[in-house]
Order: sequence, then C-alpha cells, then structure tokens
Amino acid sequence: MATSTYLSNPLVTVNSVDLTDQTSSANLTRVIEALESTSFGKTARVYVGGLENSTLTLTMYNSFAATETYATLAALVGTSTTVTIKPTSAATSATNPVSTLTGCYLETLPIINAALGALDTIDITFTGGVYSVATS
Amino acid sequence: MTYTIASSKLGVIGEPFIPADGINVAALLSGGFIVEQSTPKPKKPAKTSTDTNEEI
Repeated sequence: MATSTYLSNPLVTVNSVDLTDQTSSANLTRVIEALESTSFGKTARVYVGGLENSTLTLTMYNSFAATETYATLAALVGTSTTVTIKPTSAATSATNPVSTLTGCYLETLPIINAALGALDTIDITFTGGVYSVATS
Repeated sequence: MTYTIASSKLGVIGEPFIPADGINVAALLSGGFIVEQSTPKPKKPAKTSTDTNEEI
C-alpha cells in the first residue's frame, strides 16, 4: 500500500481576507446532526441525518495592526460570513480542494489573551453555514 | 455600489472587489480592507433653449 507524507500548511481566508500568516492551527469538521429514529423491535439505536452544523476552529495570533487579525474579526462577531480553507497554498485542484463554509456564524471573539512572555493567541470558532468543496 | 481593494490581504490593491456569496462587506469596510467607490452619475444633457414664440 502506498503511503504519502502530508505536511500541514493550509491556506485560510476569513471573510475573503487571507489570514494564513496569522493562523497556527485549523480544524474543519463537517457535522450532520444525528436524529435518533430507533423504534420498537430494534436491538440497536439507529439514526438519520438532520441539519448540517459544521465548525471551523482556528488558533490565531492576535494582532491589532492595520488589516490584521483584530481588524478582520472585530466587526464579524454576531454576524455570518464565509470562510475557506485548503490543504496548501498551491492552485486548487482535485488533490488540493478548497472547502468553504458559506454563511457560518462567529459567536465569540476573545479580545485579549495575554500571558507574560507569551504571544497573544486566540481561538475562534465559526459554526454552521453551508459546506461546499471545489476542486477547480 | 462598487468597491476597491485597499489591502494586499484581500487581493491586488486598487483592483475592484466583487464580494462573493456570504461575504460581510460592512466588516471589510470597517476594517479598512476595501473602500467604497461611488458610481459616477450620468452627465445631464446640455440645456437647450426652446423658442415658444410662434410666428404668425
């Protein structure tokens, strides 16, 4: 069986803004809520798919410089936006597909996460929206 | 209303910005990523004087 080495180096945009250079961790999880449909006579629980509720969690370096992290996110709290992520910065293709969450919601934004001698990093989570993937 | 890119984090500065589906334009404006470009109004036609005196 062939194996491949994959170095994580994704390209991340939030509301069309390229924040790759401020992001150190990204975790996109596609979630389709499970609705239990177990009925009498069954010997195991069974489920059907409900609404989609995917999430994208990003760990970012906080920067208050012009057009950086804070400027991008400050006006997005409590609103919906579109985020994209793809495995590498190379052109979009079948082996480098771009995933998009359109209309996802940003509920919270940590403003300061300060510790002595450490860089200020924040974790933000976009929830919901319509998931799509493009290969070109 | 048209928009122009003002930050390299969004694209080439000075190029027009066409927001894709779901993009929060207000947030981009407040963050200084784009600037609003007002559409030029069409020129009014030159006024022409109309002679209303009819010659009899």
